[in-house]
Amino acid sequence: MSSFSRSAQQWATFARSWFLIDARMQPPGKIATMCSVRLQGKHKPIYHALSDCGDHVVVLNTKHIAFSGNKWEQKVYSSHTGFPGGFKQVTAAQLHLKDPKAIVRLAVYGMLPRNLHRRTMMQRLHIFPEDELPDDIRANLTEELPQPREIPRKLSEYTQEEIDAFPRLWIPPEDYKMK
Amino acid sequence: MVFLTLSCWIRNRGPDRFWKVQELLKHARHFRGRKNRCYKLALLAVRRAFVYATKGRKLKKRNMRTLWITRIAAATREHNMKYPILVHNLNKCSVQLNRRVISDIAITEPRTFLSLAKLARARQQEGFQAALGDGKEPPGVLSRVMLQ
Repeated sequence: MSSFSRSAQQWATFARSWFLIDARMQPPGKIATMCSVRLQGKHKPIYHALSDCGDHVVVLNTKHIAFSGNKWEQKVYSSHTGFPGGFKQVTAAQLHLKDPKAIVRLAVYGMLPRNLHRRTMMQRLHIFPEDELPDDIRANLTEELPQPREIPRKLSEYTQEEIDAFPRLWIPPEDYKMK
Repeated sequence: MVFLTLSCWIRNRGPDRFWKVQELLKHARHFRGRKNRCYKLALLAVRRAFVYATKGRKLKKRNMRTLWITRIAAATREHNMKYPILVHNLNKCSVQLNRRVISDIAITEPRTFLSLAKLARARQQEGFQAALGDGKEPPGVLSRVMLQ
């Protein structure tokens, strides 16, 4: 009997789970690390590079990702068409306007191992620019992952009481001229 | 599997070119292309294969250890810990399990692994408490905490 129960336990071992990540106001690199770990199956104790134990990852709101610093203007994505003079360079902002999925997809693609499984793992990554999901994907979802960064609140989202209660380093005198 | 080599050797009595070739091709039969039937090519390929095998015996140990570490790290993350913290604190507790055993435990006995993780967590907290001391300043030190 024990063999029966054991085999029943093992059936689900290689089942694929579907993770959901909300990328709203998150750095793409952080999102990509979470994705690449789960696509490879490196979050499972049974991990082996050849056993194809990766999971599916659904990334939402990739249109609303947040780069820090000057990356929107200065981060450059390069490609070559193969023709003479075919070296293309676009900034992150231009690429994002053209395709809101591209930045996250390229970040994940770069973090996966360079082998024949790479394209297969990428097929298990589902990216959506907004927070609308098709029903067949929504039905599969098993777990939502917490966001790696806390979304900072805008000044307009604070109530007046909270603004008043905020400690002030220096109170300008009555006759102080702001420029 | 029947090994006829020895009996054939005895029957032939003495070195023979055919058997010499067969001795070598024996190792090359599963190779791809002409390497598995042409002596001259097989000689090179078999020699290379044996060199790889020799190097591989060392690499295998290294690769297996990397795999165990990856697996333990995955299991540790499930309990919101990191791999170095687990291993360091188990070491402090003188838990004499190597990485192979720990990764086997993580796969086959998740609850045993959870207890190991709890042990490491408790040892980590003890270490933090010891580092903080009893909340007083060490002798001969003046700080803002003392002035209050």
